[in-house]
Amino acid sequence: MAVCIAVIAKENYPLYIRSVPTENELKFHYTVHTSLDVVDEKISAMGKALVDQRELYLGLLYPTEDYKVYGYVTNSKVKFVMVVDSSNTALRDNEIRSMFRKLHNSYTDIMCNPFYNPGDRIHSRAFDNTVTSMMMQVC
Amino acid sequence: MSVPDYMQCAEDHQTLLVVVQPIGIVPEESFFRIYKRISAVSLVNVRDSQRVLYIRYRHHYPPENNEWGDFQTHRKVVGLITITECSSAKEWPQTFEKFHLQKETYGSTLYDSRLFVFGLQGDIAEQPRTDVAFYPSYEECETVEKRIEDFIESLFIVLESKRLDRATDKSGDKIPLLCVPFEKKDFVGLDTDSRHYKKRCQGRMRKHVGDLCLQAGMLQDSLVHYHMAVELLRSVNDFLWLGAALEGLCSASVIYHYPGGTGGKAGTRRTQGGSLSAEAGNRHRPGAQEVLIDPGALTSNGINADTSAEIGRAKNCLSPEDIIDKYKEAISYYSKYKNAGVIELEACVKAVRVLAIQKRSMEASEFLQNAVYINLRQLSEEEKIQRYSILSELYECIGFHRKSAFFKRVAAMQCVAPSIPEPGWRACYKLLLETLPGYSLSLDPKDFSQGECLWDSLQLLHVSPTLGSPLFSYKLDFFFLLTPFSLEKKDVTQSLESYTSKCPGTMDVITLPDGLKLPPVPFTKLPIVKSVKLLNLPTSLRPHKMKSLLGQNMTTKSPFIYSPIIAHNRSEERSKKIDFQWVQGDVCEVQLMVYNPMPFELRVENMGLLTAGVEFESLPAALSLPAESGLYPVTLVGVPQTTGQITVNGYHTSVFGVFSDCLLDNLPGVKTNGCTVEVVPALPRLQISTSLPRSAHTLQPPSGDEVSSSVSVQLYNGETQQLIIKLENIGTEPLEKLEVTAKTINNKEKLYGDFLSWNLEETLSQFPLKPGKIATFTVNIKVKLDFSCQENLLQDLNDDGISVSGLSSPFRQVVKPRVETKPLNPPEGSKAGDFSHVKTLEAILNFKYSGGPGHIEGYYRNLSLGLHVEVEPSVFFTRVSTLPATSTRQCHLLLDVFNSTERELTISAKNNQDLILHAGECQRMAIQVDKFSFESFPESPTDGSQFANAKQLEEERQQAKGLEINSKLDIWEASVEGVLNQLVLEHLQLAPLQWDVLVDGKLCDCDIVVDCKVGDPVPLEVKLTNWSKHSVGPFALTVTPYQDYQNGVHNYELQDAITFVGSNTFYIDSVKPTKDSVYFGALLFLYTGDFYLNIKFHEDNCSKDLPLSWFCLPSVHIRAMEPVIQTQL
Repeated sequence: MAVCIAVIAKENYPLYIRSVPTENELKFHYTVHTSLDVVDEKISAMGKALVDQRELYLGLLYPTEDYKVYGYVTNSKVKFVMVVDSSNTALRDNEIRSMFRKLHNSYTDIMCNPFYNPGDRIHSRAFDNTVTSMMMQVC
Repeated sequence: MSVPDYMQCAEDHQTLLVVVQPIGIVPEESFFRIYKRISAVSLVNVRDSQRVLYIRYRHHYPPENNEWGDFQTHRKVVGLITITECSSAKEWPQTFEKFHLQKETYGSTLYDSRLFVFGLQGDIAEQPRTDVAFYPSYEECETVEKRIEDFIESLFIVLESKRLDRATDKSGDKIPLLCVPFEKKDFVGLDTDSRHYKKRCQGRMRKHVGDLCLQAGMLQDSLVHYHMAVELLRSVNDFLWLGAALEGLCSASVIYHYPGGTGGKAGTRRTQGGSLSAEAGNRHRPGAQEVLIDPGALTSNGINADTSAEIGRAKNCLSPEDIIDKYKEAISYYSKYKNAGVIELEACVKAVRVLAIQKRSMEASEFLQNAVYINLRQLSEEEKIQRYSILSELYECIGFHRKSAFFKRVAAMQCVAPSIPEPGWRACYKLLLETLPGYSLSLDPKDFSQGECLWDSLQLLHVSPTLGSPLFSYKLDFFFLLTPFSLEKKDVTQSLESYTSKCPGTMDVITLPDGLKLPPVPFTKLPIVKSVKLLNLPTSLRPHKMKSLLGQNMTTKSPFIYSPIIAHNRSEERSKKIDFQWVQGDVCEVQLMVYNPMPFELRVENMGLLTAGVEFESLPAALSLPAESGLYPVTLVGVPQTTGQITVNGYHTSVFGVFSDCLLDNLPGVKTNGCTVEVVPALPRLQISTSLPRSAHTLQPPSGDEVSSSVSVQLYNGETQQLIIKLENIGTEPLEKLEVTAKTINNKEKLYGDFLSWNLEETLSQFPLKPGKIATFTVNIKVKLDFSCQENLLQDLNDDGISVSGLSSPFRQVVKPRVETKPLNPPEGSKAGDFSHVKTLEAILNFKYSGGPGHIEGYYRNLSLGLHVEVEPSVFFTRVSTLPATSTRQCHLLLDVFNSTERELTISAKNNQDLILHAGECQRMAIQVDKFSFESFPESPTDGSQFANAKQLEEERQQAKGLEINSKLDIWEASVEGVLNQLVLEHLQLAPLQWDVLVDGKLCDCDIVVDCKVGDPVPLEVKLTNWSKHSVGPFALTVTPYQDYQNGVHNYELQDAITFVGSNTFYIDSVKPTKDSVYFGALLFLYTGDFYLNIKFHEDNCSKDLPLSWFCLPSVHIRAMEPVIQTQL
């Protein structure tokens, strides 16, 4: 269902990015990259007031003609961006939310790996599998 | 209307549009100079009113846009200024004609026009005309501004009249229907009398008046009019115009709320005006307030009373939130009309600008998103570029840098789209450069590697292949290569490579023709350098400091010999400085660990070092890294030309034809062991070559110093070989000093004699050694090892070989315990070729040498030569036994010689004939040797057995040197030590009691024949010297003469032939150690003949406790002869 899933570091460089139609990968890179503008905007709009109770899920970042871009920010400012085909109307907000939660859990697992250097690219089979499962689910 | 003006902002609604155009031939430069002066007059304070007119100048305006002038009056061209050049009066009519033609273009909407003529002088210029101004040249036109102001004032008059005309237009019921071009045909045949139609006309007119009021500087009025127009148009569902009215309302509100302006361009335009703009703002505001405060002013200005009657003033002006709502509404209305795309687009742009000021980026992005989807008719490429650029700019305004960069890049790509016949490389390039901040890319290497740039310039990726013009094949294009997320790198690099081959990049700052400076960008990631390590020189070339001065390396001035604090400091210092030195003139190496992150093979050419501090000749290297290689060591070399501190700053590379200088300071995550090293003065270099083959075996010296080369040699035990070492000075400095030391290592074997010996003087006489010269040095290698202990064979052959004496030695068990425990091996099993018998000896020859300037500084070099010697057993003496010789002072040494080699041997010992031994053969040979005495004797046989053994062996070794054995192969010596056991040694020893028998004053020993005369008494003297440590005796000796018939028969019946003078029995008292006692007797021979004397001890003696061999007296051979001659004489 997701066509592209990306993990972006606090400093806004990509840790992980994968998309399903591989032939047009660049397009998704652009989409994800530009969505960071909106993420930044949303984070700054939230302000510092309620950092603790902050909702990690950012919701729809922006729709394009073919896709919808959703965002999620962890407390450590690592961003997850998911691009979903907009024709897929079955996908509701709650489902997106749970997908992000799953992604977050998987990411946490990676961080727990003592051999992973935070800030490095993610090369993890487990994470790959999680992402793949999310991309495959409904398609 | 098809051409959108992306620069529009809300304030433009209050401006008057004036087109400035050249006619005829006007130099562009001159035109724009005049245009600039004209456009500086952008706001005019109209005489005797507080209103301000804003003028918008365009030098190009499409006439079809002009047709929308009724819809929004600021789109209407109301003034035309033409600029022309006219050199002679003849041309004048023609020029004037052109001016009129030009006026026709915008004729329908023009309020007024002006013609500025430059260059014309004379009669015509003298004529005062209002619409034409003459200037002699472009320089002498001081009055241009004044003229423009006049012109604008005239425009104002027309505008004001129109406004008043429209506003008060009550003439009959007929209000003309204003419409936009595409609507015209829709209204054909419509009932013009219906209420609906009338309302529509009214609404549109009201909106138009609002526009005019706004332009005329009557903000408050315009708000009122707009409100009314909105009400009217809403009721008749005239959406297009309703949208326009709402937009007008928004614009007026924006102007009210944000007097500073919303459009970026407008802002800059105003700042050009400097203080004027601030003044204008101030002036404008009080004016507006005045209107608010004094509603009477509205009426006094002739505005219809009903406008201000009903609507509350506070409501007139929209709040900032409402502005956006209204904009949204307006845009939604516009979007109903396909032909109003441009209007919609412009409205979006305006709204975004407003939102940008309000800092509501999210909403602004929505507007922009909408704007992106507005589909205009087929746009030309240029328009597309313009559109993308403006989108980019707007995103920039609202802080969406990435999006902005995205659109800028799209615009850039559009510049060089394949459909364009003449790609605008320059423009593309410029735009691309502008995208860099959006991608957090910096051309400044300092900022490199931070944060977002890891988004890789994937975004630039697709540019590169199309960036065909060599002019711009700049490094920027390579950014995309630098990070892991790039795609399709391979194709790109291939094409890039071909470009750069045409136009090599440099490290210079590139200045583009338009003044844009491109700083050089080094390729720090092609390849990625992970660590930089300065390598020490090879061991043989390392300089060492002479340790002549005590504590020279103690650099501290502290009085304490050791202080932990100082030690700590020093270690910190050392972290940057390396504790080895480089040598001037020698090739020094730096090892880089590099890796190629690219999925293709990377060719790095001309890779060298960047250094500081010392003149350094870097020798560049070329390397080829396989695709996505792991860490790959690369050694860069160079030669320091002077002495001092050298710092390795970085490296330079040439990748894809682009030269880059990469400084280590700018590289993140590079591990280094320090970059500063000391270069010491030049030293000579010594190369050694030897007569022996090089060894594959590498020595493992214990003390950490390495062996530069090693040689090996195979020798038979006992063999001596000369090792000739050629010392060649291959450096550039003379070799002045040489010291040689040798060290034997890993030697568990017992080694006899000097292993290595040499004579250095001979070599030193050839010094100093000039560069290129060769000296020779000879080392003698002599191997003598004890092979016996391992030889099972020997035990076999040797087990109880000593049978000379029947006495059981008390230490026999100590010496040969193995006999009982080891199984016997068949002799065939231990062939000489069996390598288990080969023993190795290793030694290191150290050559310390120095010379040249380095010698003066106290440095030397150390070259070591490893020597690996394999020693094979040669011959063994499997059994040694002794036989007493005829003399008591001598004995026969019986050696069972075993040839353990595979060759035939000839063995020659002194005064013996050669013995030929076949391989594996064992033969006995006998050598007569002198007995020898030991200086000291063990106190008690049991305690000192070991010591005695060693001592005796030492003695024995000297003896063994007498055995010279010639083999077919060579001359070598074998020693018998080890195989000798205690009993043999006892036989070899001289007895501690030395018996000397003198006959006729001559010492008798075996084989010596003493001549004497018959009839004469022969004195016999027996002398006992006691060398033992105890006193011995007393002894009783009997002298028994006999004759030997040489057939085994001894005749003792010689009473007739010999008589004793005195007794034939001697008694010797006890003799103290080291003393001697002498006893005399005499013999008288009665007949001639050969006689022997046998001196015997009496058996009843108390000397049983002493070894028998001690009482071995020589037998005396006496030949008695007739004293014939004497008697005859």
